[in-house]
Amino acid sequence: MALRIIYDILALTGVCAAFAVLLVIAQKFLSNYGEMKININGKRDLTVKGGNSLLSSLGDQQIFIPSACGGRGSCGACKCKVTEGGGPLLPTEKPLLSKAELADGIRLSCQVKVKSDISIVIPESIFNIRKYKARVAEIIDYTYDTKGITFELLEPSKIDFKAGQYVQIETKPYAKMKQKVVRAYSISSKPEDEKTLQLIIRLVPEGICTTWVHNYLQLGEEVNLTGPYGDFYLRDTNADVIFVAGGSGKAPIKSMLEHLEVVGTDRKMTYFFGARTTKDLYLTEYMQHFEKALPDFTYVPVLSHATPEENWQGKTGFVMPFFKDAIRDPKNTEAYLCGSPGMIAAVTKSLVEHGLAADKIYYDSFG
Amino acid sequence: MVSLRIRYITTVLDDIMKQTPQEIKIDKRMQPGVITLSGFLGDDTRHYHEIIETDEQTLENLGKTPEEIADRMQYFTDASWNSYDTPLEIENKFVVETEVVRGKLPCPFSHPGVYRKAVTRLTNTELGLTISWSSLNLHMIKEHHFFEGSGSVFRIEPELLVKVLF
Repeated sequence: MALRIIYDILALTGVCAAFAVLLVIAQKFLSNYGEMKININGKRDLTVKGGNSLLSSLGDQQIFIPSACGGRGSCGACKCKVTEGGGPLLPTEKPLLSKAELADGIRLSCQVKVKSDISIVIPESIFNIRKYKARVAEIIDYTYDTKGITFELLEPSKIDFKAGQYVQIETKPYAKMKQKVVRAYSISSKPEDEKTLQLIIRLVPEGICTTWVHNYLQLGEEVNLTGPYGDFYLRDTNADVIFVAGGSGKAPIKSMLEHLEVVGTDRKMTYFFGARTTKDLYLTEYMQHFEKALPDFTYVPVLSHATPEENWQGKTGFVMPFFKDAIRDPKNTEAYLCGSPGMIAAVTKSLVEHGLAADKIYYDSFG
Repeated sequence: MVSLRIRYITTVLDDIMKQTPQEIKIDKRMQPGVITLSGFLGDDTRHYHEIIETDEQTLENLGKTPEEIADRMQYFTDASWNSYDTPLEIENKFVVETEVVRGKLPCPFSHPGVYRKAVTRLTNTELGLTISWSSLNLHMIKEHHFFEGSGSVFRIEPELLVKVLF
């Protein structure tokens, strides 16, 4: 009886293996699309091997469309306009595209297969996105749950980004984690440090990447990064500035201030940093040094849940009541906000009530 | 010993062959380290179908549906989503706040879209009980009637939900 079962299992395995071999052979001959052309923005032709996804075909040519799920068709981040080719819209794409996007020919590049010549339109800024090999050069504990990680870029050895943009970091397998994941973090160092970059990463319970960074990442370890991404960056104007951040939202603001310290500015700037208790404050002295380094800069930490035992002498409550004194000309003031959607919504509402134009309020809502 | 091992192998093969490719994919996505660090099944050895069926039965006995539960959870999450760092008092007996951190998660059932990493914490002050759920919990309860396996970090017992939410 036992032998009979073993023979049956072996026979079944054999049949499955034979089908698998047949499938591989069939795919080789029937699914060979040959070489295809991808025309980008009507200016540039790429020759790629047909049959792969548009996202991976572009990646092979060092053109990196942002993607948060690694091409699994679940995040909807890898949108691009397909003007010719691309095949019919797939059911996997439709739920992730708005009516306007569908009408405009927007597709998910991870779902579009390059089976014919194809024409696409992508922002010029995407050509600046590169994949970097980097080495962990420094790890600093900023708070009980927040670390600053500095990476030395190895290949390529320099990065060109705007203060406020972000990169994606690729984890390595660890503990029960068998596969890599990719996560986005704002760059907290200045663009002028082109050979290194720093990220500020807060530990998120059950977070695959943050757990890896906090508990497994070692000094000297090599990692892969891609970037820079994002349209949250400091605008080159003479307008006054209100910065508002909470938690790890301090990262892009730090980058902007360091950049302004290098290039010089006489803009009036006020930075409100919202935290719950003194335990959540970090880089306070470093932020205060900008009050001396920049001619008209004020750093205002505000605690919402300070306890009497903390003996906090600074401002308390929400940051919004303090805007009035910081805004001298609302028509000539920009705001840069980084934090949770709740913080962004409350602060934006207040700034608009103070007379700031909504289109001069730039934010990164931890998306 | 040999016959026991063969019986185990045939049971496992039998289980695998009973599942559709989609079910195998879902099961894989629920394992630790795929979407979340600890996965969605905890130390529960049951198939996710069985977990769903048991929890549906529990709710039926309590006179509630997963949709009613999810709608009530959504109500509290929506109310607190835009509150800034302050718990909200609702209906004179609930205190609720939602914390959002950076990042999004996909659904293990391969639903299109991603769900923000947000945790809503609700306290029923009359009962002195507090429960928490994530945006993904809410989606999985509403669309898949899945409350996660026992021992899972974000498992919420249906009985407790019914007790605290209403």
